[in-house]
Amino acid sequence: MSIPFGYVLALSGIVVVLGMICAVARRNLIMILLGVEVMLNGAAIAFIGAALRWQQLEGQAFVLFIIAIAAAEVSLGLALIVHLYHRTGSLNPEDYKVLR
Amino acid sequence: MAAAGPIDTTLLAALLATQLPFVAFAVILLLTRSRPRFSAGLSLAAITVSLLSAGFLLVRHWGLARPLEYSTLWVASGDVSIRTGFLIDPLSLLMLAVVAAICFLVQVYSLGYMAGDPGFSRYYAFMSLFAWAMTNLTLAHTLLQLYIFWELVGLSSYLLIGFWYEKFSASEAGKKAFVMTRCGDVAFFLGVLLILLHLGNLNILDLNGPAAGRLSPAVVTAGALLIFGGIIGKSAQFPLLTWLPDAMEGPTPVSALLHSATMVAAGVYLFARLFPFFSLSPTALAVCLAVGTVSMLIASTMAMVSRDIKQVWAYSTISQLGLMIMGLGAGNYVAGVFHLTTHAGFKALLFLCSGVFIHSFHSNDMVAIGRQGGRRLRVPMACLVVAAAALSGIPPFSGFFSKELILGALADLPNPLWVAAGLLGAFLTTYYTFRLIFIILFPAEGGPETEHSEDTRHRHDGGYLVMASPLMVLAGVTVFLGFGEGAIARFLTAPSGAQPGASHHAWLPYAALSLCAAALFLAWFEFGRRGAAQVGFVERIVPLHALFSNRWYMDRAYRRLLDHVVYGVFSRLCARNDQKVIDGAVDGLGQATAAAGGLMSILHAGMVQYRLIVVFVSIVFMAIYFFV
Amino acid sequence: MEFTGFPYLTAILLSCVAGLLVILFVPGENRRAVKWVSAVFSGLTLALSVTVFLLYDTARGGLQFVERAAWVPSFGIQYLNAVDGFSLPMVLLTGIVFFTGVLTMWELENRVKEFYAFYFLLVTGVFGLFMTLDLFFIFIWYDVSLFPMYPLIAIWGSTRKEYGAMKLTLYLLAGSALILPAIIFLHVQAGGATYDITALMRPGTFSAADQKLAFFLLYIGFGILAAVWPFHTWSPVGHVAAPTAVSMVHAGVLMKIGAFGVLRVGMFLCPEGWQFWAPLMATVAVIGIVYGALVALSQTDLKYVVGYSSVSHMGIVGLGLSTLTVDGLNGAVFQMFAHGIMTALFFSAIGYIYERTHTKMIPELGGLSRIMPVAFGYFILAALTAVGVPCLASFWGELMVFIAAFKVYPVGAVFAVGGLVLSALFMLRVVQRAFYGPANEKFAHLTDVSFGLGVPRMILAAVIVLFGLLPSILFDVIDTASVAFIKGLP
Repeated sequence: MSIPFGYVLALSGIVVVLGMICAVARRNLIMILLGVEVMLNGAAIAFIGAALRWQQLEGQAFVLFIIAIAAAEVSLGLALIVHLYHRTGSLNPEDYKVLR
Repeated sequence: MAAAGPIDTTLLAALLATQLPFVAFAVILLLTRSRPRFSAGLSLAAITVSLLSAGFLLVRHWGLARPLEYSTLWVASGDVSIRTGFLIDPLSLLMLAVVAAICFLVQVYSLGYMAGDPGFSRYYAFMSLFAWAMTNLTLAHTLLQLYIFWELVGLSSYLLIGFWYEKFSASEAGKKAFVMTRCGDVAFFLGVLLILLHLGNLNILDLNGPAAGRLSPAVVTAGALLIFGGIIGKSAQFPLLTWLPDAMEGPTPVSALLHSATMVAAGVYLFARLFPFFSLSPTALAVCLAVGTVSMLIASTMAMVSRDIKQVWAYSTISQLGLMIMGLGAGNYVAGVFHLTTHAGFKALLFLCSGVFIHSFHSNDMVAIGRQGGRRLRVPMACLVVAAAALSGIPPFSGFFSKELILGALADLPNPLWVAAGLLGAFLTTYYTFRLIFIILFPAEGGPETEHSEDTRHRHDGGYLVMASPLMVLAGVTVFLGFGEGAIARFLTAPSGAQPGASHHAWLPYAALSLCAAALFLAWFEFGRRGAAQVGFVERIVPLHALFSNRWYMDRAYRRLLDHVVYGVFSRLCARNDQKVIDGAVDGLGQATAAAGGLMSILHAGMVQYRLIVVFVSIVFMAIYFFV
Repeated sequence: MEFTGFPYLTAILLSCVAGLLVILFVPGENRRAVKWVSAVFSGLTLALSVTVFLLYDTARGGLQFVERAAWVPSFGIQYLNAVDGFSLPMVLLTGIVFFTGVLTMWELENRVKEFYAFYFLLVTGVFGLFMTLDLFFIFIWYDVSLFPMYPLIAIWGSTRKEYGAMKLTLYLLAGSALILPAIIFLHVQAGGATYDITALMRPGTFSAADQKLAFFLLYIGFGILAAVWPFHTWSPVGHVAAPTAVSMVHAGVLMKIGAFGVLRVGMFLCPEGWQFWAPLMATVAVIGIVYGALVALSQTDLKYVVGYSSVSHMGIVGLGLSTLTVDGLNGAVFQMFAHGIMTALFFSAIGYIYERTHTKMIPELGGLSRIMPVAFGYFILAALTAVGVPCLASFWGELMVFIAAFKVYPVGAVFAVGGLVLSALFMLRVVQRAFYGPANEKFAHLTDVSFGLGVPRMILAAVIVLFGLLPSILFDVIDTASVAFIKGLP
């Protein structure tokens, strides 16, 4: 490998953490979804590095799965967010505290 | 020995004497409360049968040499078997006759006294309850049976003292009587338990017999003293004597029956009953003697300053009971028992006569009665004088003979202090008795009015004859009973075979009579003579007057003990402990749990992102744990 | 399956359950029908209880009316009912209190059907616990009798009902949380094959250390229900909050379950533990006797007074159980019965007065004896029984307990006997303040107890007097069990 595996993992970790922070620290439902997306992408990076490291093509195949499922999940999530926005007019998670 | 085969007349008579009043009580209470005359009739019928049976038993077994015992098993539980039955011996027969006779006379008297009272049926029901309890107490053959009926007598006393329960003072007096005698009963019960533990059974004949001699002296003394505690409570001796004057709140016939002649005498009866047992412990006898002496003197002083007729006789009862206990404590069985018998007669007579005055003049105050013309009621006044003479020990009335016996017993003791105390008591007794007589006979003009008694509820003249005939019967008894002293003494000592000791102190009757005369003269000088100030020498000494009329501050001491110590300290302490400490802990536990739950819920409450944080942090920790 | 003769015990349980089901089917608006159905089925239960009591063969003694059926064989749980000298008085007591409780609530108007349904469920649990000899069933019946208490108090109660209901239920559940581990511990230590008490009773099944631990847990767990000091504070609050019939069952029967549990489970299975902890039991019992009476002295609510009086009397039961003698056991079981009846009469009388005057506070009452003498008569009979007047039932239980206690713990016995004075003091004070005195004009228009309403109170009063005059009826029964039990101890 031209790039050490460690660096790939580090990049993946940074992306995942950035995604966590975005999911947790932003006061917007869409941003939560975005954070989750970013986390998924970080995981995908890790998979690609692993595939390269151990010369197994399954890793790349898994990334295709991740992309597909992320797309499906995002569409579902956005549909829910749109419905919620129509119901309550707010995208701020602080307003969704009914289930204390 | 259990009765088997054909019922013999003694057992039948004993059963009739004791159990019929209970039937009357039950029937009246449950069925005939709305028919007062019928209830009274039932009660009277029962007590008449009791009296006839008691008389039959007394006559049949006059000169009984060996006690008869009938018993049957009542309750058996494990090791304890409780029997119930009758013990027929001279003492119990004599007491039974006295009890039945006084019950009968008082119930007849009450027909007139209580006529028109709304609680007439209830009164006779409780009278029958008392008669049942007292007769069974008299014939009890084990200490436990005696204790049971002792308590029941206390119950009927409570019910009868507080008979006019609308009055706060009456219900208060009833409660006080019950609680104070309960204190004594606790000691009595502990004594019973102690004896049961060491002797194995509670049969009175066994207690008085040789088996008790094998107990250790400490146990005998402890048992005797504990039982004497019960006697102190029931017979209103020092220090449990303040309930008896308050018990005068009850109707006068009740005072005559319970609180002079029978119930309070039950204490002395118990003493006499267990006299051989008590004699095993000289310490106990000495304590009894001391307590009796103190009570006698204290009560006499209180009687000297009282203006309420019934209170004077109440204090006098305490004093005379103390005298009886002194007689028994000095070791003379016959003296104590004979005085018990004569005292029952003349004290009941005193109360019943006073009852006539109270009924007619609607006041308990002797000054008011005197001024309203008490001496115009001739039969009660005459009987009152007769009874007063007996109480003071004036011959030839019955009290003279019985007092002589006791003073003789006291003189037999090595320490002259006791007979001196006895003579002082005789002096004081005569003084306060004739103070009352002279105030009524020779009332002074003027002077302040005092409070009316609440005995005013029955204004009907319920029949003069009905109230006067018991008086005359009792007066007759008072006059003639003294001459039966020898016969009664021989009757009482027949089983033990001991000779009734004759008193060898020739100077004693003269000393007693001269003191008596001196007291009478003093009373006449202060109260009876024309132009007398009607103020006693005690009343002039203000601190003494305060001391005596406040009952030596005993009431205040008890009130303070009750209010400040029992209620104020212990009861409040336990209640606060319950609320603050125990409940505080329990409720605090509940609140702590709820608070912890609230704390935990922070993790879940709020926005979805908080939960996400928790999830992410947990994942990080798990990763560290598993991979590092 | 094994049933000796007619299965009376199951019949008792079935009559309760059948009554419950029939009540559930009666339309709720027809209140009279619900009440009559309840009366009929509780009367049937009472008749069966009395029959069982009379048919018990005191000469033979031991366990009779045995009914056995496997329930969950793989865990060793059986449906096993029987009565012996200890449980027979309790069954009779429950029958009497059940029937009189149903009749006492005759004037209930609010949600009658639900009330009687829960009430029947409660009593089913109580009966089951007294009759069963299977450890697991004891626990089941304990909880069956516990959970209806919550709605009964919370819905139909009075003073601070939610607090009282919550406190009672949680406290008693805490008790059961101590009992269940002890039961499972015993089951496992004995090999994990059976929950049958008669099988586990054999000496040598448990080591001494096991017994001490298990008995301690059982004593505290059941003791909470028996108002053992200092775990008693749920009881007065619960008494006050509960409606009348529930108070009758609560104080009359439920608290006896606690003492009975200590006896049936603790003492039967862990005798060495019992002997080890007996001094502690005695100390706590004597404290309870005196403490209960002292606190009752300062109460202003009638039901609180009776509640603390119950704490005091259950102390007497505990003292009897701790003496390790036949007399003590006899006295304790007799006192359980007598106190149950007496306290049922108390609450029945107070219930009538509360219905009419709408107050239980002593300062507001007063002068009632002239206005309602019959109701007062019932109250004072119960009060005199509480004070320990001879020839009323409670005297004999106290007598036996004091005799036994004096033998074993003389100092404690002195304090316990001294408690008699305190009980006289507070009881008579209540009688005087609440009933004596001039007639209260506020209540002058009230009517006294009619004959129909007086039936349950008359029954209770008659039982008190009957067993006061002829206590041997009960003592003969209890003796068969206690003598054999003490003799069989290691």
